[in-house]
Amino acid sequence: MNSPPTNDFAIRTTEIPDRILGDYPVGKVYDEMRAPDGTLRPHYQALATTLAALPQEELQRRKQSADFSFLTQGITFTVYGRDEGTERIFPYDLLPRLITAAEWRTIERGLTQRILALNHFLRDVYSDARILADKVVPRQLVYSCRHYRRQMCGLEVPRSVYIAVVGSDLLRLPSGEFVVLEDNLRVPSGVSYMLTNRRVMKRTFPRLFQSYGVQPIEHYPQLLLATLRSLAPEGRPEPNIVLLTPGVFNSAYFEHTYLARQMGIDLVEGRDLVTHDNIVYMRTTGGLKRVDVIYRRVDDDFSDPLAFRSDSSLGCAGLFNAYRAGNVTVTNAFGTGLADDKGMYAYVPRMIRYYLGEDPILNNVETYLLTEDVQRKHVLANLDKLVVKAVGESGGYGMLIGPHSSAAQREEFARAIEANPRNYIAQPTLDFSCAPCLFDGRLEPRHVDLRPYILFGDKVQIVPGGLTRVALEKGSLVVNSSQGGGSKDTWVLE
Amino acid sequence: MNFYSIRHLTRFRYTRPVSESIMEVRMHPRTDAAQHCLSFSLAVSPRCRVFSYRDQYGNDVQHFDIPGEHAQLVILAESLIEQHPAEPLPSALPSSAWDDLAELIEGGDYGEMLLPSQFTHPSGALKQLAAELRISRRDDPLTLARELNHALYQYFEYVPRSTRVDSPIDEAILSRKGVCQDFAHTMIALLRLQGIPARYVSGYLYRGSGDHDRSTPDATHAWVEAQLPGLDWVGFDPTNDLLAGARHIRTAIGRDYSDVPPTHGIFRGNAESELYVAVQVEASSSAPVLDRRQHVPDDWTVLVERAREAPPRPTPLASAQIVQQQQ
Repeated sequence: MNSPPTNDFAIRTTEIPDRILGDYPVGKVYDEMRAPDGTLRPHYQALATTLAALPQEELQRRKQSADFSFLTQGITFTVYGRDEGTERIFPYDLLPRLITAAEWRTIERGLTQRILALNHFLRDVYSDARILADKVVPRQLVYSCRHYRRQMCGLEVPRSVYIAVVGSDLLRLPSGEFVVLEDNLRVPSGVSYMLTNRRVMKRTFPRLFQSYGVQPIEHYPQLLLATLRSLAPEGRPEPNIVLLTPGVFNSAYFEHTYLARQMGIDLVEGRDLVTHDNIVYMRTTGGLKRVDVIYRRVDDDFSDPLAFRSDSSLGCAGLFNAYRAGNVTVTNAFGTGLADDKGMYAYVPRMIRYYLGEDPILNNVETYLLTEDVQRKHVLANLDKLVVKAVGESGGYGMLIGPHSSAAQREEFARAIEANPRNYIAQPTLDFSCAPCLFDGRLEPRHVDLRPYILFGDKVQIVPGGLTRVALEKGSLVVNSSQGGGSKDTWVLE
Repeated sequence: MNFYSIRHLTRFRYTRPVSESIMEVRMHPRTDAAQHCLSFSLAVSPRCRVFSYRDQYGNDVQHFDIPGEHAQLVILAESLIEQHPAEPLPSALPSSAWDDLAELIEGGDYGEMLLPSQFTHPSGALKQLAAELRISRRDDPLTLARELNHALYQYFEYVPRSTRVDSPIDEAILSRKGVCQDFAHTMIALLRLQGIPARYVSGYLYRGSGDHDRSTPDATHAWVEAQLPGLDWVGFDPTNDLLAGARHIRTAIGRDYSDVPPTHGIFRGNAESELYVAVQVEASSSAPVLDRRQHVPDDWTVLVERAREAPPRPTPLASAQIVQQQQ
C-alpha cells in the first residue's frame, strides 16, 4: 500500500478519490502538494496513495488516537473565560508537510549564512561598531531600538556567540522560493511542538514514515545541551546548566519543563537563583550550588532587576554583573533583540554582504521603512494592500493586514505611523504557500510557514525540519498560535 | 593646579533588618582631560567584597552584595583629585559653527546623546518653555548654550526637596522650581531638541569661602555637558549660572540621571529605608599626602539630603530600589 516516492512521474489527481480531495483548489499561490497544472508533486505521491487507500473510519480512528497521544503527553494549552474543559490540546493537523532533500539543503545553507551574519552584527555593534561607522546600518536605528542593551557594549561574550538558539520564520512564494519573514533571536519557542508532532506522527503513520526515509530530529535536546555545554565559562569542565523560566504563568511553560526534562537539567525561576560576589548559585535542598550556564527563556527586561527593569521580580538581581565578569554564561546573550527588530530586518541582506562578502542565499521579504519619507508616503497611500507591523512585537500582535482590514483600522494605523514612524514597517501582502490539511476526512489547502530551529555553539547546526505552522482558519494568513494557528509535522526527506 | 580631597558618606537605615542587599555605586571620580583621580577608596559596612567594572560611558562602577541580615548599610568613598585649569572659552563661535556641528554629528558617534532618554522627553511643557526662552538654532551653538544656561538659572527657583528623584521634568518646568537634577534634565532636553549632543554629569562642586552658589553645599551635584564644534564637551551648570570649571569634579556621565545614580540597589525585606548623605570637599594648592586618613566624625551633623523610600510593595518579600536625588 505504501509505495516509495519516485521522481519520474506524477499520478493524475483523478487517482485520489474525490471524497478525499473534494474541490481542492489550485490557486495562484504555491501549493506544497500540487503543481499548477493540478498534478501531484512527486514527493507527495506516497502520502496521497496512503490516504486514498485508507477507509474513512480508519482515518478517523488514527485522528482520535493522535488526539489522545497529544492529550496524554500534556501538550495542552489553557482556554480562558470558560467554565468547563479549559485545557485543550494544541491545534495540529494530521498530515505531515513534506520538504525534499534539495529544498532543505538550500534552506540549511541560507540559514547558516544568515545566522553567522546576524551574530557578526551583534558582536560588531556591541564592540567596534564598524558597520555603523561605515554607514551600512544607520546609527539612529540602533540607538532607537527598544531592545538595544547599551550595557552590552565592550563585553566579551563566550566564543563570541550571541545567538545560540534561533528560530527563523520562512515562507514560500508562488515561485517556489523560500524567503525569510523574520528572525527570532531572543527566546524563540515552539521546538517542543516540533518534537511532539514527530513523536505522534511516527505512531500515527508508522509505515508511511518508514517508507519515506525522513531525516531525524529527535536528537534536538541533546544538540541543545551540547551547544550550552560548549559555551560554559573557562575552567568549568562539568558545568551546571539550568533553564531559567518566567514560571507557570508563561504560555511556553510547558516547553520549558519539557526541554529541561529532555536534557536532564534543572528548571529554575529567578527566585531560585541568588548571586554572591559575582557568582550565581541556585538554592537546593542541599544548600547553594553554583550555576555555570543559564539557558534563558526570560526576556532581557525581566532577567535582572539591578541591570534592567527594577520593578521585575522574575529575574535574579546581580545576574548581569556575574555575566559581565565571565562567571556565568547566559544564552541567548542580552541585547540580541536588536538584530530581530523588524526595522533592522530590512538590513540583514546588507549585513550578509558586509560581513561575509556573499550574496544572500535566502532572500528577505520586501520591506518599507516608514522613517523614509518616500516609502512612508507610498505605504500610507496603499494601506489596503500592505501588511503593517510594529517593529518590536512578535506573535502576530500589533499588525494590520491591509486587504482584510476595515477603514477604521487603517485610519488608526495611519495615525500611529505618523506619530511614530520608527515603530512600524510595511510589507506587501504575501501569497505564501498552502499545504493540504485534513478536515472531516477531506483535504483542504491552508497557508503554512516554516520555523526551523538553529543552534550555534561550536558551529551552526539545524535539525532538518522545524515547526510548520498552519493558518487553520480558511483563507487566513495568520499562523501564530496565539492567533488561532496550529501546527503540523515537517518531514525532510532523505 | 587644584587638589581636592573628597569624602562621601552614604548611610541607609532600615526600619527593620533586611535579609540581603545588592548595590552599585558611581562615586569614583573620572580621570580624563582636565581631571585626574589620584586615589580612591570605598569602605562598606557590613564588610563585604567590593567589585568594580567600567560601564559603557567609561564610568568606574563599584558593586557589592551583603547576604546576611543587616539593619544599616554605610558606604564611605574617599578620593583625591588633581584638577587642571581648562582653556578659557571663546566669547562666541562663528555662525558657521552650526554647519560644523552637523558635520561633527555626521562623522562621529553622538547618537545616544541626541535622542530623548527617560528623563529628557520633549514634552509639551518643554516645547512651550523652548518658545518662552527663545531657544532655536540662532547665533551660534556656544552662545545659545550659554544663554540657555543663564535663562534656566533665572527661570527656576532652587528649592530643595520640591521634586522627587523620579519626577518628570514637567513637574519642575510647570512649578518653576526644583533642584540641580531637574535643571540639568531640562537643559539637556532643550539642547537635544536643537540637535546639540548633550549629556548629564554627576559629581561634586567645591565651594570656597568666596563662592556663593545656589546649590546646597556638601551634597552631590549635577550639571550638563554639550558637544560644541572645536571645543569638545563643554560643561554648563544651570543651577549656579556657571560654566563648569575647576570647582566641578566629575564622577560619572550618562544620558541622564538614570544612567549615573551615585547609589543604585535593591534590598530584600519588608522595610523602609532612610537615607543620609554627607559630602565634604576640601581644596589645597599642593598635593596632600596620599595616605592621609581623616577621622570620620561620630556626629556627622551636615545631613544635607534625606529621602523617604517609596512605600513597600504588598508582597511579603518586597524588593525596593534605593535611590537618591541629586541636588
